[in-house]
Amino acid sequence: MDSWKEFDQNPISHSAAHHIVAIAELLEEYGYARVSDVARLLEITRGSVSVTLKGLKQRGLVTEDERRFLGLSEIGNAIAQSVRARKVVMKKLFEDVLGVDAERADRDTCKIEHLVSPSSALHALHFLRYALEGGAAQQAFSDAFGSFQKECGGEPAACCTCDDVCLQARLTNLPRIEDSAESDAK
Amino acid sequence: MKKEEILRRLNELFAEEIEAGLRYLHLSVTVTGLERLLVRQTLQENLQETLEHAQTIGERILHMGGVPELDLRVQIPAEKTTAAEAIRTAREFEQAALDAYRELLDDVAADPDADVTLEEFLREQVAVESQHVAELDLFLED
Repeated sequence: MDSWKEFDQNPISHSAAHHIVAIAELLEEYGYARVSDVARLLEITRGSVSVTLKGLKQRGLVTEDERRFLGLSEIGNAIAQSVRARKVVMKKLFEDVLGVDAERADRDTCKIEHLVSPSSALHALHFLRYALEGGAAQQAFSDAFGSFQKECGGEPAACCTCDDVCLQARLTNLPRIEDSAESDAK
Repeated sequence: MKKEEILRRLNELFAEEIEAGLRYLHLSVTVTGLERLLVRQTLQENLQETLEHAQTIGERILHMGGVPELDLRVQIPAEKTTAAEAIRTAREFEQAALDAYRELLDDVAADPDADVTLEEFLREQVAVESQHVAELDLFLED
């Protein structure tokens, strides 16, 4: 399992992805982007934006003209559009197919938008198109998933998704931090 | 300019200065190589100065009836840095602070009802920050 290495090899950090996408959004909405605009959009200091952009400029992803207006290089723009597309796909999948509430879907996909590979996002897009196409098979699928019994018996041996541990139990039996702090205090 | 808007902008400057202080501290610790001997003291002096600026802004906010507010989200990677890279990084956030002071000064100066002491304070800060940037530029000359 070398997938953890992909995180290190991913050329765009979470913060960098946010900066690049912010510049793309500002350019689309206002036709220009400055450090102060990015700072306001991301709700961070100008100093923080400037330091992050320094690295992105060195890598040829962000440009700055003599009047200090920001732009994106061809590669920078491609990255911005790709991250945004991945965000839309994953959010739609979470919200429209899996039934995650809109706010949670937005927050969670914000965390993974730059980490999920374009290849996996493409698979998700194919599934999304299939699930949302609206034909009889898709309607049947949607109805069946809607009425699917989501509670399981907690028996991994009898489960089609679990091998030796109950995944649902691991996902739902998280102690709340304040609970564990309380028990630690005791 | 409304008082609330001035307080908001001063709070932004308060955050800029405190974050710059944190960055100077990190740079002064992580700078390596022979030139560490040359730039470390400058970085530490600038750290002290940014914290003094933050204190002055905080007090000015208080005098205007506000309370300094800080909502920082700072990520500084665990990386050693060369002297030249440290200076280039410092130049980035010093320029950002200078721009923020200059913009607020322009807005305050354009307002006939603005507090002249605030305008004077901002003018002084623009001078000091401009000097910082110029000093850092000198380090970067070949």
